[in-house]
Amino acid sequence: MNLRNLPWFVLGAVIVMLIAGFPLIASGYHLALGISYLYFTVLATAWALFSGPTRYISLATVAFFGIGAYTVAVFGELLPWPLVLLAAGIIGVGVALVVGLSTLRLSGIYFVIFTFGLAELIRQLVTWYEVNIHGSVGRYIFVAISRNEIYWQLLALVVLVFLVGWLIGRSRLGLALRVIGEDETVARHAGIDTTKAKLTLFAISAFFMTLTGAVMAPRWTYIDPAIAFSPMLSFQVVIMALLGGAGSLIGPVLGVIPLVILFDVLSAYFPNYFSILLGIVFILIVYVLPHGVVGFLQKHWPRRSQAPAIAILRPAARRSLLAVEQLRKSFGGLVAVDDLSFTIEPGEIVGLIGPNGSGKTTVLNLISGALRPDSGEVRFKGQPIVGLNPYRVARLGVARTFQLVRVLPTMSVIENVISAIAHRERPLWGASAERTAGGLLMRVGLTDKAALHAGQLTYIDQKRLELARALALEPEVLLLDEWLAGLNPTELGEGIALIRSLQDGGLTIILVEHVMDAIRSLCGRCIVMNAGKKIADGPPATALADREVVRAYLGEADA
Amino acid sequence: MTLAFDIVLSGLILGGMYALTAMGLTLQYGVARIMNLSYGEFLVAAAFFAYWMFSSLAVSPLLGLIVILPLAFVANWAIYQIVLMPLVRRSKNRDMLEVDSILATFGLLFVIQGVMLVVFGGQYYSYSYLSIPLTLFGTTVAANRLLALVFALVIGLVVYLALKHTRTGTAIRAVAVNPVSAQLSAIDVRAAAAFAYALGGALVAAGGVLVSMFLTFNAAMGVAFTMKALIVVIMGGVGNMMGALVAGLLLGVAETAVARLVDPGLTLAVTFALFLVVLLVRPTGLFGRPTS
Amino acid sequence: MRVKYFAGFGAIVLAAAISWALSTGTQAQDIQSIKIGWSISKTGPFAAGASVTTLPNYQVWVKDVNDAGGIMLKSIGKKVKIEVIEYDDRSNSEEMIKAVERLATQDKVDFILPPWSTGLNLAAAPVFDRLGYPQLAVTANSNRAVELSKRWPGLTFWLGLPSELVDGLVETLVKLRKDGKIGDKVAMASVSDQFGIEQSTAAREGLKKGGFNLVYDKSYPFGTQDMQPVLKDAMAASPDTFIAFSYPPDTLGITDTAKVLGFNPKVFFVGVGTAFPIYKGKFGDSAEGVMGIGGSNADLPGIKNYIQHHKTIIGREPDRWASPITYASLQVLQQAIERVGKIDRPAIIKEINTGSFDTIIGKVKLVDGQNKNTWAVGQWQGANFYGIAPVSKEGARAPIVPKPAWK
Repeated sequence: MNLRNLPWFVLGAVIVMLIAGFPLIASGYHLALGISYLYFTVLATAWALFSGPTRYISLATVAFFGIGAYTVAVFGELLPWPLVLLAAGIIGVGVALVVGLSTLRLSGIYFVIFTFGLAELIRQLVTWYEVNIHGSVGRYIFVAISRNEIYWQLLALVVLVFLVGWLIGRSRLGLALRVIGEDETVARHAGIDTTKAKLTLFAISAFFMTLTGAVMAPRWTYIDPAIAFSPMLSFQVVIMALLGGAGSLIGPVLGVIPLVILFDVLSAYFPNYFSILLGIVFILIVYVLPHGVVGFLQKHWPRRSQAPAIAILRPAARRSLLAVEQLRKSFGGLVAVDDLSFTIEPGEIVGLIGPNGSGKTTVLNLISGALRPDSGEVRFKGQPIVGLNPYRVARLGVARTFQLVRVLPTMSVIENVISAIAHRERPLWGASAERTAGGLLMRVGLTDKAALHAGQLTYIDQKRLELARALALEPEVLLLDEWLAGLNPTELGEGIALIRSLQDGGLTIILVEHVMDAIRSLCGRCIVMNAGKKIADGPPATALADREVVRAYLGEADA
Repeated sequence: MTLAFDIVLSGLILGGMYALTAMGLTLQYGVARIMNLSYGEFLVAAAFFAYWMFSSLAVSPLLGLIVILPLAFVANWAIYQIVLMPLVRRSKNRDMLEVDSILATFGLLFVIQGVMLVVFGGQYYSYSYLSIPLTLFGTTVAANRLLALVFALVIGLVVYLALKHTRTGTAIRAVAVNPVSAQLSAIDVRAAAAFAYALGGALVAAGGVLVSMFLTFNAAMGVAFTMKALIVVIMGGVGNMMGALVAGLLLGVAETAVARLVDPGLTLAVTFALFLVVLLVRPTGLFGRPTS
Repeated sequence: MRVKYFAGFGAIVLAAAISWALSTGTQAQDIQSIKIGWSISKTGPFAAGASVTTLPNYQVWVKDVNDAGGIMLKSIGKKVKIEVIEYDDRSNSEEMIKAVERLATQDKVDFILPPWSTGLNLAAAPVFDRLGYPQLAVTANSNRAVELSKRWPGLTFWLGLPSELVDGLVETLVKLRKDGKIGDKVAMASVSDQFGIEQSTAAREGLKKGGFNLVYDKSYPFGTQDMQPVLKDAMAASPDTFIAFSYPPDTLGITDTAKVLGFNPKVFFVGVGTAFPIYKGKFGDSAEGVMGIGGSNADLPGIKNYIQHHKTIIGREPDRWASPITYASLQVLQQAIERVGKIDRPAIIKEINTGSFDTIIGKVKLVDGQNKNTWAVGQWQGANFYGIAPVSKEGARAPIVPKPAWK
């Protein structure tokens, strides 16, 4: 916490104190309304902690909420209250870890459905347990906790969830999650252990949901699986968080407040038409506020951005060696890489060329860990790296760019670079990370665009950015996949000069490229591939003149 | 042996119902990319319609299909054009449309449910039609349930063949696999999607009419059908008619077997466990192609 | 960031302002009307039950009272009409609590009628108790009812303890066996939620004590759409008596499937929903001889009247178990108010618990907060679902056993 933030913390503390005083003056109904605001705020904010940055829509909210409520039902009268809450939190995190480990590799709609199925499965298992082992489905909760205490506990959870969210947002973990949300493939190649990051956040989010269920349970005197695991709750939380804007910490609250009011007004004044009106409002929200309230605010009051500090790039190159041995990969019947072997010496620039479909990009994917070969080995400085996750390969010192440029469009240019700096083998964070990133941007010529969103960049600038991100990993080997394609002659000249300067800095580079001028001027050596096989290996002039190479490129008749 | 046969036959009949009520969703979700949360409400609405025709006009539900199917097709086509088209236009990619359609159809769910509540109230409805025993190879089954299985098989087969062998069918499959590439083949993607959505709506209406003959229903019951259909669709592979059919039948047989051999109390748990296992082992479903 | 935090702060202030604005409670100066509020499940999974048993009876009763000029308040010497405020709790405990708080503290209603279901009533109990309102929890059913009524004195139970319902059933079976009408083989199925589990647990003990042989005993999940597996196995055990503690959709499903399979044991007992008019409507003559929970004495003039009356106002007949009792509970409330003569809720609670009342179901006198005038077992005989147990209860009909064949 520095001086700049202090006024905000003071303001926050004052608001919290005002909210905390509310039960002392509120009527029963207003207190109930206050409790609704608070518990939905915790749930929606906790939901957005995980789902906001990763964009994984989770419908498991009620699974954790219900677990919390049941923990209270079982232990409520046996243990002192703090221990009950502790137990609930531990159980919630435990379930989240088990579930997360097995499911977080699913993405998109499969994750949505899975989390919904999970909530139902837990509900069925609880029911089955209660019927067959406990012998009764409903449980009575006679814990002496007053409404005011429930309110204050919820408020404490709100403060805690905001604090945790704020800390995560400023941490490397928060950045990692946003990169995952933008492009999970990029995240892996930027050195991020995506599984660990997602799992951590999923567990933190589940922790808050479980505690909310535990705190709320005493209010209901009696719970059964239908009450504790009502799937409606999960949907409500999603709608609230999305309405407010799941991408920012404050967003979900902005959804919770209007919706709680809306639910209340509708069920009070139109009890018979509640459903119809609610449905119409939902549909309108989707049309009018596609990015939530926060998105709406940002659009109309765009935030100012600060220019990053700039420092000098430290050369990031050392001695290296890469060996590809008998590498083989087939897709169905098609053999894309057919027992390919070659070695790369330190400091070399090697061109990997060949006709379209000859397997060049597949080779890069096999080296960088995006694909796993059917057989063969890749050694980096003598160490086998086949089978390692992309992020492990990236951290060892093999960085790459993509054939179809992949930047993180809604994150700023400098954040794109920091995402890699913060997750490399020797990570930097905070001001030093910003300095390093600024240096890299200067090197690729993007200094004045550091604060723009990456999506706003031109194609060539996006390519530059991708290169900066790869360099941010401090790699020893750089894999460039058609990085020079589509540039005009001036840009091409700049690009070639840039790559050469990287070599001068000691970097070893593998270049998949169709631009022959670039190959001729940059590469000391060329490996030519056709149909997955190496057909030539040598200086460009020799290799390109090879009879077989000419035949592969131009067809039989011209040979 | 007789027990095994009994389980398989009863299971197929139950599974036929699951498949029947899921086929529409596989078209709507698989082709039109609309994750339709209000799917079950359309099913219940069709059931109410059949009930109304049966009890007020004395029209048999099967005859009622002649009216209900075209009506459902047109209504769903209109909903796609009016409610969903703005979202389709706006979305830059599939994921955005999926999220937007979840939210919009969640609203639609409430609207339709609310209308049914106002018209029919919250209480249960049930009537008897073709509730007569048939003996098949020594096993007694209810005629109306058997009919649902037959419909599921026929619809599954007809739509499968139509998708495979007609021009429109090919267009729909192309859109299901890759909307962007389909455009390059001069396919009007939005028209194909609207058609698929409407066809899915007609299929779910058929499902609603058939299950109304033997299930008790009320206005609030749609969600249960949506969830079962989702499970079947995901298990079978999104957009795959045969997949939905096989997954539905599989679930039916599994549930019946567990109920007869282990404990009827575990049927739902088995459904979800089976579903989760399929999802973990083959995330794209039993018949799905790998996506990337 | 600054904008967002301001927005957040603004939103909180706005929320507080709107929350206060929502409180449009008017102060009652002179008693022009008695305000009665209820929070009922109009949407969500409980809507089905609430719209059969609870809400129509509230509506019928309010209309009846107002048509008769209102409730007599001795303290001001005139009849006062009822004014209704209703909320939808969306089948959700938290929403229900909020609605009840709102009725009490904002709308300042004089009485609150209870929500539907055991879960919601128990969630409401501490709130009713704290606010001092009587809670005539007709649709709550719990074996801990007596203890709960002691804990919250305003809370009264009306359907009889689950164990009493089962006692009535076992008593009937014991008698039938003694008369040589049935053997001792019983098959039992139950829905796996609180109701099914409490009932089947009690029945299991009772049947064992009664010397019956439980040849099939399984529970199935709520929402099961195919009853064939359960019924086929139950049928294979060739029981004399089949018992299902089921909910309306499965009650209808079980009966339908039994009919298709030709499973016609001497005693065929199904759970909630048997007493619904829809049951008779769906099965017609096949309903003859089917036993179920509850029942009523349709020969009582009050009940006869009530059924007709309900049909005229709501457009359909009431169910024959909890509906007449719900109506009777409201009559008790009205009579208690009139005896006290003013809106003095502690006195009214006391009167409800100690007084004796004339209602459509006959005389009602609560013992330990429990209504004892209940039927445990009913049977469709002709157009009505008559109570047959407890056997000793006045108006109990003799059961038709063996059950006639399905038609």
